[in-house]
Amino acid sequence: MSDRTPNPPSSQSRRLYQMTRGALIILPLSIAVVPWGILAGSLAVEAGLFDFQAQAVSALVFAGSVQLVGMGLIKAGATLSTLLLTTLFLTSRHLLYSATMRTRISHLPLHQRLLLGFLLTDELFAVSSHQTRKEFDFWYAFGAGFSFYLVWQLASLSGIVLGQSIPDLDQYGLDFAVAATFIAIVLPSVKKLSVLVTVIIALLLSVLFSVQGIEGGIILSSLIAMTIGYAISIVRKEPL
Amino acid sequence: MIWTTLILMAAIVFISRYLFLEPRLPIRLGPRVLHFLHYTGPAALTAIWAPIVFHREGSLDLGLDNPYLIAAVFAALLAITTRNVLLTTLLSMALFFIIR
Repeated sequence: MSDRTPNPPSSQSRRLYQMTRGALIILPLSIAVVPWGILAGSLAVEAGLFDFQAQAVSALVFAGSVQLVGMGLIKAGATLSTLLLTTLFLTSRHLLYSATMRTRISHLPLHQRLLLGFLLTDELFAVSSHQTRKEFDFWYAFGAGFSFYLVWQLASLSGIVLGQSIPDLDQYGLDFAVAATFIAIVLPSVKKLSVLVTVIIALLLSVLFSVQGIEGGIILSSLIAMTIGYAISIVRKEPL
Repeated sequence: MIWTTLILMAAIVFISRYLFLEPRLPIRLGPRVLHFLHYTGPAALTAIWAPIVFHREGSLDLGLDNPYLIAAVFAALLAITTRNVLLTTLLSMALFFIIR
């Protein structure tokens, strides 16, 4: 604990600093998610939910793809088992995030683990997964995750209030913010051949699956790319 | 009924996010698994950003008139040279909104 300071007030200001830093790093992703939140809110109302229930979907489920697809299924009158299996399928990549973050989060107190687990979206994983166990900071992750959660709630609320007027997502080009942030996070971490190959395989496969309209392309291309990257590092005897 | 559905959906999502964060989960991630998981970030994040850049309006778009591609190349160069996430994001977004 080299950064330990003698007086408590500075520990509080350190928390605030870390939370602000987290909220700032995730800000472009928070902005980019606004149209999706609006869409999630308006689709929930369109699926026949009361306003309060529609907001509860965003507050409790807090997962863009699950909410968008799920509301479509509810509207179409799908059975509960179809809905839950689809949810499990769409959310499966979070298991990978959870396993990856285990060494950094599992030693934290229960309430901190529960909070970060609840907030562990693609976006929170993106801004915290490249940190080492030593660099990882609960308040940084919480600031990022919770600010993102608040934006999702407000965006959903706007969608619920706006109701039928569903935004045209492509019109804003905000999805580029996701691409820009993820590129900015991933590329500096490419320091070994095995990581470079992982990135290239994930790129090629995910684009191929996306163009072919294959469901689950993200998790499928990730797992294949990770396996190939891992195999290369073993064959080349790369240091960890 | 709708509440049951919502709560079950929320439970599935939460469990998939929390499962491995629980220290009492009787599983020990050995060095090989940890090494494998080391590739999650580069793989999963790339699998999310790449289709945004290359898959435009229903097909593969490698043209120089694809603003996503141009701005992504710029972001990549900035990311490698500056290693600054926020700076890279903001400057490449600025370029994107100028050229699109």
